This record gives sequence, C-alpha cells and structure tokens, in this order.
Amino acid sequence: MLGKAAIASVLGVALATSVAFAKEHPGKDYILKNGYQGPKTCEVCHPGKAKEFTGTVHWKHASKVDNVDNLKPGVEYGMKNRIYTMCNGNDIVNNLKEIPPNQMGKTKFSGCNTCHPGDHSTPVGSTGPQAEESIDCLICHSTKYDFSKRKPGKRADGTVIMSQDRSTEAAANLGRPTAKTCMICHESAGGGVLVKRGFSIDPKNDVHVANGLACIDCHQVKNHKFPTGYDPNNWANDGIRMSCAGECHTETPHKDADLNRHTAKIACQTCHITRTGGASAKDFTKWEKQDNGFWEPSTLKQNVNETRPVYAWYNHTVTNTPKFIGPKGSRTDGKSKIYPFKIFQGKAYFDKLTGSLLSMDFAPPMATGDSLAGVASAAKILGIKKYEPVPGWQTIYFGSNHLVGPKSKALTCTNCHVPNGVINFAALGYSKEEVAKLTSPEVYFRKVVESQKDDF
Amino acid sequence: MKKHFSLVLMVAVLVASGLTMVKTASAEELKVVGVITKIDLAPDGKSAVVTLKDNKSGADVVETVADDLTLDKFKDHRIVSGDEIRSKYEQKDGKNFSKLFKKTAGC
Repeated sequence: MLGKAAIASVLGVALATSVAFAKEHPGKDYILKNGYQGPKTCEVCHPGKAKEFTGTVHWKHASKVDNVDNLKPGVEYGMKNRIYTMCNGNDIVNNLKEIPPNQMGKTKFSGCNTCHPGDHSTPVGSTGPQAEESIDCLICHSTKYDFSKRKPGKRADGTVIMSQDRSTEAAANLGRPTAKTCMICHESAGGGVLVKRGFSIDPKNDVHVANGLACIDCHQVKNHKFPTGYDPNNWANDGIRMSCAGECHTETPHKDADLNRHTAKIACQTCHITRTGGASAKDFTKWEKQDNGFWEPSTLKQNVNETRPVYAWYNHTVTNTPKFIGPKGSRTDGKSKIYPFKIFQGKAYFDKLTGSLLSMDFAPPMATGDSLAGVASAAKILGIKKYEPVPGWQTIYFGSNHLVGPKSKALTCTNCHVPNGVINFAALGYSKEEVAKLTSPEVYFRKVVESQKDDF
Repeated sequence: MKKHFSLVLMVAVLVASGLTMVKTASAEELKVVGVITKIDLAPDGKSAVVTLKDNKSGADVVETVADDLTLDKFKDHRIVSGDEIRSKYEQKDGKNFSKLFKKTAGC
C-alpha cells in the first residue's frame, strides 16, 4: 500500500526536521539576550513573514473560492463570512465578545473567531503594520507556549482582545508544529471538543500518526500556505490542493491489480477511512438551558470515530443552495470518484422573503435562549432591514478525509460487494442489472477463498 | 434428577453473576459538568487529581485523570482552573477515575 521508500523518505525528512528543531533554533541566543517583542523579533531573521501570513487562510479565514455554486464573484468566502447550519454564525456576526449576563448574572467571552491567531485588536483578515504586530507566531511555533496566558479580556476602552504568551521562555523554545499544535484549534470547532469533525487524531485511530507523521507532513506548508483537499463544506483554501497520490502514494498503490483498478473510480478515503463522528444534527431555533445558566443550540452528538459515512460521486465541485451543501458529480462525467461523507443536518431560520439562510449572533440566545433575538442582532450587524424568519432544515455533506485506519481495517470485497454492503450502488446511479452483478460474490469469490487459505 | 438440579443451579448462578456484573459496570459510570477548582499534577506527570464543582449540585467531585492527551493539556495550561468541563468517570475502591474529560467551550 504505502511505498516503503516513500514512507522512509517522509519519515526521514520529518525526523531530520524535528532533530534540527530539537537541536536548537539558531535565534535562541538572540531571543534570550533581547527578549521577545512579538513578530518583529521573528522578522529580524525572517523578514516579510508577518505580511506573508496575513495573506493566508489561517489569518483571513476566507479566500477566493472557484468550485462552489452560487457565490458572488470577486468575494472571498470562509468562516469569516459564511452562513451554514453547523455554525449558523461567522466571524462577522459572532466576533469575539462578552456575552450579556444570564439569569444567574454570569457573563463569558465567546465568538466564532476565538481561535484566530491574532489579538483581536484588528478584525479577522485585516492587513497592515497593526495587524502584523498582533500575530501570535508562538501559538504554532513554540513548544513551551503557556495557554493560560492566552485568554480574552477587555481593554479600558471596552475593546475585547485576546492576550498571548509572548514570554522569552516561549519564544526561546521553538519547534516543529505537531498534531497537538493543530488540534488546539481544530478540535474545538462547531461548538465543543470534537463536535464538528468528530475524529480523534491519535496513534490508535490513524495509521499516519501511528507511523510518527504530524499533520504538516501531509499538509506540507509553504510560505504559511497550507495545501488542502476538497471537502465540499470547507471552501477557503490557500490555492494549493493535495491528494494522497504524490510524494507518499501512487495512483496504483496496491500490490493487487484488482484493488488498483478501483482507484480510477474510488477515492482512497472510501476504503481507508471507514469511520467519522461528531454532531449529526443541530437545532439553532431551540436552545437548551445548561446548569451554568447559559444556553446552547440543541445538538445530536455522535461518539467520536463511530459514525459510518455515506458514499457519493464527487468531482470536486459543490452544490450550494440554502437547503443543501454537498458534492456534485456522477458516474458518467469522467471526473468523479466515489468519496465518503458525513451527513449533517441543521435547523435554523430562513428568510421567507429571499429563501436564504439567516445567520445568528449567539450572544442573545446564549444569555436568554431567545434564538430570534440572535437573528435580529445578526441582521442588524449585517445591515439587513427586512426579513421574515421561518425555521427549516439544511443538509450538509462533510468530507471524510482524516482518520486513515490500518490496512486491516480497510474495506474489502465483502464490505461493499454484497446485497447489504456499505455502498448503495442503486443510489450511485447503477441499474438493477448492474447492482445485481456488483453485489454478487461471483466477481471475487474464488480470489477471496484462495486468500483465506493463508489467513487463519 | 440430581444432575438436572445441579444444571439449573449452575445456570441460575451464572445468570445472577452476569446480571450483577452488568449492573455494577453500568452503575459505576457517572457524569458531571462543572468548573475546575483545583488541579494537582503528580510529580511524575503521569496522573492528576482534579476537583470539579458540579454545576447541578454545587458539590465537589474529585477525579483522577490519567490519559496522556488530557494530562498534556494540564501541563501546557490548555485546561486550567476556572474552565468548565464535561466529564464521565468510574468509581473504583472509593476513587473516581476519569473516562472522558473535555472542555465544554468551543467556537
């Protein structure tokens, strides 16, 4: 499956890089002598990196998107401004803020952009010297970042900002970002730990992690730009796309020619990522009161790594309507492959006048449970004067692209090519006759019988 | 007859012990949502004793946490006193052992 030379090469590079970092960052003495003054200290040796970073998705939370239907030309999209029902808000309407007191008199800070790697003194995606100065370089690059120093608070002028660990100790201990570094932010999306994606990246559940790879060994960053795949619900991208085939794997990665034949129409993820997890449905129209006096949107959570994906043709272009966000493709377009997805359904308010999905400022419902007050507040922020909110559901297909299981857990002939298999061939556009053929053991019976002789 | 009685007795004992085991296993998993008031990390870093103030009852719940991912979060202060936690734990020998320990907050 994996080319041994390729694995050795990647592991070698990963090891060499970590050894290089483990040895010592060449600027350590300078930092210890001069202290750390934020990005300008980094810029002494890495000029232009702060400005470069402000042009990336991690900073802008948006980008040009060219594979999704019904987007306005010339507008960048991402969590900065998108409205969909996993979140129902975005950085604009849910900018980090203090939630009004609840019935128990408690307040807290909350916002969709709490993970933004700045100090919130300038808006998400802002550029210029102040924005560059506010970048929290160390949150990704330090191995001794003290997260108790990164917390929201209010300045004297009432501006809500996020403090950072800019200690000399954190700055003097730099290292290669690990899976932990990425998961600091990426595990908490969707309103809680492992709610949105629902997969836990650890050696037990992911063969890449078990082999010592970190996120950035696959998402190989160049100039702070991260290669990404084509998750139909993850639109913003740095303009660099990635796939399994390349440095580590080929288009014909198996020893078995019959398996290699599958790769023309079946994405690697389909057989090798057999589980997903996280929330399957949310209702933003009805919030539930918690024991701490705050309210949360009602959510159907699924166990981590325990949801079986659904399969659909996907050509890397996306249907985007108020009621549905998901893959486009067919078995006949010559571009599609069958991919696995997690289906999520979210209930929120739609505008009866335009049919579009309305976003919600979470501050009012978090304090009082009043979801319509949240819609009103968001409309005010966005300058929407006339709207008629009506509840409705939206279905979203999330790409299932992480949590690659070991070879022994991959789907085999008998997982798919049986009448009760995991793939619904009829739904994928196959005729009755084709389904009968595809679900008959005739195709693989002798081969599997032979392989079972050695497998006892 | 004697043989038959022994068989019935054996089955009854097995069923009873099975039920007891099921009851014990399910009864021991408890849940709490509460705010951390104290984290005592063991000197070797391999476990921690954490006190949570139960949001519902206001009572203190003291748990031993031993999973590496959570311990790492204590060490670099991704989880600190004052954070609200959703936790599942089991009781053994009068102590609470954490099975799941997550911050309630997200974005």
